[in-house]
Amino acid sequence: AGAGGGGCPAGGNDFQWCFSQVKGAIDEDVAEADIISTVEFNYSGDLLATGDKGGRVVIFQREQENKSRPHSRGEYNVYSTFQSHEPEFDYLKSLEIEEKINKIRWLPQQNAAHFLLSTNDKTIKLWKISERDKRAEGYNLKDEDGRLRDPFRITALRVPILKPMDLMVEASPRRIFANAHTYHINSISVNSDHETYLSADDLRINLWHLEITDRSFNIVDIKPANMEELTEVITAAEFHPHQCNVFVYSSSKGTIRLCDMRSSALCDRHSKFFEEPEDPSSRSFFSEIISSISDVKFSHSGRYMMTRDYLSVKVWDLNMESRPVETHQVHEYLRSKLCSLYENDCIFDKFECCWNGSDSAIMTGSYNNFFRMFDRDTRRDVTLEASRESSKPRASLKPRKVCTGGKRKKDEISVDSLDFNKKILHTAWHPADNVIAVAATNNLYIFQDKIN
Amino acid sequence: MEFKLEAHRIVSISLGKIYNSRVQRGGIKLHKNLLVSLVLRSARQVYLSDPCPGLYLAGPAGIPAPPPQQQPGEPAAGPPAGWGEPPPPVARASWPETEPQPERPSVSHAPRVGDEVPVTTVTGVGDVLQGREADATEAAWSRVERPRQAAAGEAEGPAGGWGVFPEGSLAARRPCGCPLGGEDPPGTPAATPRTACCCAPRPAEDEPPAPPAVCPRKRGAAGVGGGPAGCPAPGSTPLKKPRRNLEQPPSGGEDDDAEEMETGNVANLISIFGSSFSGLLRKSPGGGREEEEGEESGPEAAEPGQICCDKPVLRDMNPWSTAIVAF
Repeated sequence: AGAGGGGCPAGGNDFQWCFSQVKGAIDEDVAEADIISTVEFNYSGDLLATGDKGGRVVIFQREQENKSRPHSRGEYNVYSTFQSHEPEFDYLKSLEIEEKINKIRWLPQQNAAHFLLSTNDKTIKLWKISERDKRAEGYNLKDEDGRLRDPFRITALRVPILKPMDLMVEASPRRIFANAHTYHINSISVNSDHETYLSADDLRINLWHLEITDRSFNIVDIKPANMEELTEVITAAEFHPHQCNVFVYSSSKGTIRLCDMRSSALCDRHSKFFEEPEDPSSRSFFSEIISSISDVKFSHSGRYMMTRDYLSVKVWDLNMESRPVETHQVHEYLRSKLCSLYENDCIFDKFECCWNGSDSAIMTGSYNNFFRMFDRDTRRDVTLEASRESSKPRASLKPRKVCTGGKRKKDEISVDSLDFNKKILHTAWHPADNVIAVAATNNLYIFQDKIN
Repeated sequence: MEFKLEAHRIVSISLGKIYNSRVQRGGIKLHKNLLVSLVLRSARQVYLSDPCPGLYLAGPAGIPAPPPQQQPGEPAAGPPAGWGEPPPPVARASWPETEPQPERPSVSHAPRVGDEVPVTTVTGVGDVLQGREADATEAAWSRVERPRQAAAGEAEGPAGGWGVFPEGSLAARRPCGCPLGGEDPPGTPAATPRTACCCAPRPAEDEPPAPPAVCPRKRGAAGVGGGPAGCPAPGSTPLKKPRRNLEQPPSGGEDDDAEEMETGNVANLISIFGSSFSGLLRKSPGGGREEEEGEESGPEAAEPGQICCDKPVLRDMNPWSTAIVAF
């Protein structure tokens, strides 16, 4: 059964999504550094973190429901902003290391502070975000301005007292996990044991302990002895939500391997291998590219996993390796445009996908700032758009439709009119409520279900 | 034919991507380059398998026609071994024989390679190809077509550069008899042209396309700073050793491999394109440059493609066409 929390409507209801908020500049000219590169709710959904290409992390906090301000129910406001990663230069290899945040993953909350892992291509950092609402006053050795006092002038001693102050949210790096990845890190995943986590790059997966930064265990290594024989790379990896010994990783060949860390120390040999046979009739130059999996996510229940490739999302039952139990077409109309998409590099876009709290619905992004939702129970799907035009408070989102040929109906948009620069790669669904966060380039849209 | 046009186009686009990847911020993206090379391989196979006179100099050795496409579902699949398979002996043996007949429109001699290609594969590819794009490249195609036949012999040269190039076969390739052109374009130190040429008898015929990733081996031999000026002599295999030693250090070495793979492809690319690109290479930005300082000069030093540019007819063609022809 789904692990959805309270507040989540029964599966199968039609969602009525409404605009709630949009964060980010409206400016047409988008600075590359402001492009959002990852979005993640924390375990309670009260915090929403975004990372961008400039290496910054912005955390939003949900306002408590307030009777005196009913309209700001559940609004997300900036809670903390900090620079997580800086650009680096690897002098040995003459390579610049981008500061872009590839992934953020929250740790379960264990005390008043919040912890998250953020990673760029090479280094993972554990950040502690804590609140400070008191300040000590009445020090002996320094005055209120902080200047040191001359000890010889001190004639009496006093005990500093704590006084309230304006809330200050501080982010401090508590651990830095570096130098463990030769290739570019694409995934991090916190284990259900809350003590370890994995990080995956193109060819290797490492297991870390959150407390230990000077070493990690390599648990998967698919680097061939001869790099000329390289045929696939790791594209995503995730720990099972409940079984701390199980994780999966996806490949550029469209396969998923499930590994059990109890069976051997090195998980090069998988326990399960998920692959759907290719449809020979749809073979093209680009078949290999579009079969590459860009994201893999376990359902909250742990019974299913979802994979995203270029044109579709697939839901797999962990007990059946031969084929997915569901396949949802995201934008099949692009299949005839693959050559152009190859040319403009869009075919390499890595879309993510996510489950809702009860695992009854899944969501993923597309182009033209469209995103798609699939209701697994009713088998219905909808295309919505994140745009400034439909950004009036609590305005309902109107379903969009792409015209694939023939006569274009009113309100439909033709495939050739799609803006491929407006891509929604990162989306997140609140773990319990029907609140979704959609990253559209440099803007973060938050939508809520009307019922909510 | 339109498949060939499309393939032609995709090949050139892919080459451009691989080249541009060198200067991308953050270093070479292994995943993307792997995908691009897979596309390149597929396109190249289609391109080469299309019936085109003169492309294959069968010669008396009777190079078998290109391998019948594999099962319909996998026209472009490589052998499980991946990119490193050596060409069959037949191909190697035949190369010297074809060499002496460079200018001859080998139409009559070349096997109709396309004949062997199961229609299913080509059709499958064609289904997704856009005729519109094919038309667009028509003009370029016809421009290339005529001289191409005559240059078929040379075409084989650089083509091989993309082909299989495992270490062990270097020596075997040597007796290619490629005229060691004294006509290297200015600015390009003469070096190991022939390495690439030697591969030419397009091993692809006999086996699934070998992706360009093989190149690192060749590049290592050709251009490593310390090696002899790229002589692909039978003793060339040892040339690789200096490179290998660099792989000892744990992570640095491993990354060298990854980096090497990509730059190797590009180095080949450069050599095929000839001097047009060597200048660009020298000016590569500091941020994006990979670590192989030695190798940086390698691709410039090694000009396997030059041999093909020696022929007057090829010199008249723009570098891109040359490269495509070379394929």
